[in-house]
Amino acid sequence: MAVQSPPAPTQAPPAAGPPAPGAAPGRWTDRVAAALRQTPGQLRGVLAVLAVLILGAGVTGMTSILAKSAVIEETTSQSGRLSVAALQLYQALSQADATAASSYLTAGTPSESMNEAYRTALRDATVALATAAGEVEHAEDVELVAQLNARLPVYTGLVESARTFNRLGEPVGATYQEQASTLMRQEMLPSAHTLQENALAQLTESRDGAAAFPWAAAALVIAALGTLVWAQLWLTRKTNRTFNLGLVGATVLLVVFAGWLAMASLASASHTSRSHEEGSRPLELLAQAEIAAQQARAEESLLLIARGEAPEAADRYAEHIEELTSDGGLLDQLDDAFADDPDLAAKIGDARDAATAWSNGHGEVVKLAQEGSYTEAVALAVGDDEASLQTSFNGLNAALTEATETSADRFVDATLDAQRSLQGAAAGLAALSLAALICAAVGIQVRVAEYYA
Amino acid sequence: MNRTGRTAAAFAAAACLALAACTGPASMEPPVVDVPTPLPDGVNFSPDASPADADTSCDPLSSYSPGSVTAEQARALLEDPEQISIGISQSTNLMGYRDPETNELAGFDIDIATAMVQAVMGDATKVRWVPMNSADREQALADGRVDMVVRTMSITCERWENVEFSTEYYHAGQRLLVAKDSGIAGLAEMTADQLVCTGASSTSVGNIAAVNPEVQPVTVPDFNDCLVLLQQGTVDGVAIDDTILAGMAVQDPTLQVVGDAFSEEHYGIAFQKGDTDLARFVNGALAAMIADGRWQDSYDEWLAGPLATGPAALTTQYRD
Repeated sequence: MAVQSPPAPTQAPPAAGPPAPGAAPGRWTDRVAAALRQTPGQLRGVLAVLAVLILGAGVTGMTSILAKSAVIEETTSQSGRLSVAALQLYQALSQADATAASSYLTAGTPSESMNEAYRTALRDATVALATAAGEVEHAEDVELVAQLNARLPVYTGLVESARTFNRLGEPVGATYQEQASTLMRQEMLPSAHTLQENALAQLTESRDGAAAFPWAAAALVIAALGTLVWAQLWLTRKTNRTFNLGLVGATVLLVVFAGWLAMASLASASHTSRSHEEGSRPLELLAQAEIAAQQARAEESLLLIARGEAPEAADRYAEHIEELTSDGGLLDQLDDAFADDPDLAAKIGDARDAATAWSNGHGEVVKLAQEGSYTEAVALAVGDDEASLQTSFNGLNAALTEATETSADRFVDATLDAQRSLQGAAAGLAALSLAALICAAVGIQVRVAEYYA
Repeated sequence: MNRTGRTAAAFAAAACLALAACTGPASMEPPVVDVPTPLPDGVNFSPDASPADADTSCDPLSSYSPGSVTAEQARALLEDPEQISIGISQSTNLMGYRDPETNELAGFDIDIATAMVQAVMGDATKVRWVPMNSADREQALADGRVDMVVRTMSITCERWENVEFSTEYYHAGQRLLVAKDSGIAGLAEMTADQLVCTGASSTSVGNIAAVNPEVQPVTVPDFNDCLVLLQQGTVDGVAIDDTILAGMAVQDPTLQVVGDAFSEEHYGIAFQKGDTDLARFVNGALAAMIADGRWQDSYDEWLAGPLATGPAALTTQYRD
């Protein structure tokens, strides 16, 4: 390294400084100044500087690595869990709304699978709410969770009233179902969405922290190396011996230290950003796609529940489908994200096919409903048959869910890689810096001893 | 306690403090959350109450005399001479709705419309039912999407500008729906701290204010929401056309329609502007239906029970 221009040690000025006339033996500063006029004292001074720099590099290097591990731990645990719980909550709520609305259309006899899907979605929503409640750290998030908690039983109450009136054959059931969906659409889903965004913002903040390079440790280790090289040149001049084995050993150890620190930091930063690029970003997109599909499905059902007399529901359906399938829409973005991953790209292809089949079928349902063939429209929309929109919607949902699972695995792998790249680095760096310190001390002590031999 | 034990205790205490400082919820104030009250989309708690102007610019109830128009002449005006298209509601209980059990169309409007199909087409099955919003009625006729509209449509001078009307086929009026145990016997009795729900797209707010300026009106875009708000206790009464109130009362045995009608709504069948021959033929069929008791039968089946009164007298007037 910087051999040609060795930096002057910080204690150099006193060594070459003005003589202390009439040194009073009682003052320690004077004693130090006196000692530094002799070679053994100068050697000890150099050792002290080296000790400070090497220990400083060791401690800052170790703590920065420990802090990185803690952040990675956090992204996979704390706010990681909050963002996962918030996302699950958002998805489960929109899934519940889509199933509740569809099953209303099947009058008194919703299929067992529809009932099961509704119950599962509610279970997922409540579990996610409980998890989120334990993870939130900010007053705003606490309030969002509390609001969602207060509204969920009101929502399920409205859905059950709708079902009961529907069973009794009273059309007011439809109005209860619409009111339930309004509560979900206007209050609950936006709260869940805000909670999710807050959690993701907190996650991004930690991630940026984890990707930062440990500049303090790097600066200290470079200063230590510079001092070592200068010390060796100086000793060579003083003693006419080319090598001091202790100092050479310390130099080698510090070079290894610097290499390890740089590699561990860069590797963990690249793994962390990979976990973002390949893991969490596609996961967000997938979740958005699922939610758009579920909300479109809920609006489609509401359109039929309102007996084709709810143009707003038709508009909202179009909006969600647009978000999903338009040019540059969510499916296009997912295609881009998975361009070099044939496995996931194939699943997005399946999702696109199902979405196309669905939106073609939707046109047919609307046409049937407008022509007064209401029964046929409902059968096409929520029937069990192969050609029904229920089948396409389920296909779309399943493809997106599978892609989500694969993508979640990738995320966990990348985070594990990031953690692995840091494994042992903290202890290793501490050991290296200690070893370097001992080598330097031995090397210098050997020279000091020669003066007294 | 030995020295190690004390150190451990001190360390645990410090750890607890450190934890408490960084784990939020335990140290945060409990959040303040509003009591969730489910409300329909577009509900308005302070609607404008402009009194309805008297409809004097024309004689709205005068339609075209049946004369000697034949079914063939009437059919010639249809978009598709083999199938008549009729705009109806599928969501107005007892008037035009899908029976949730059978999924079939039923109701008073549907009975009237079916009788007209039978008269015009000679076969009650040669019909295409087109569900529509009340806001869509005039446009659907203008676009030729439907040949006629039988959907709780009031005859007004303003609408006469855009469509042709038949003679009146039902004489409706705004009345009040309340809980049986509320003790309210009419709109005039309601107080300033009570809320009364009505539809947004009508002059009903003005009609309510004319009878009782104290009571607070609440409007919703879809009047079906009024029934839910009444059942949930958010409002104290619903003031809409009696036909619609009947459809609500029949769904809930704890509710009843009270008081006299405080507005006049004359329902007519609407046709595309210029289809006067179709209107003439339908007027003849309507008169026949009223004369031979089929009209009364339908009234008895759908509306007599929940309204607990006989029908208001129909006005049958011809302008030529």
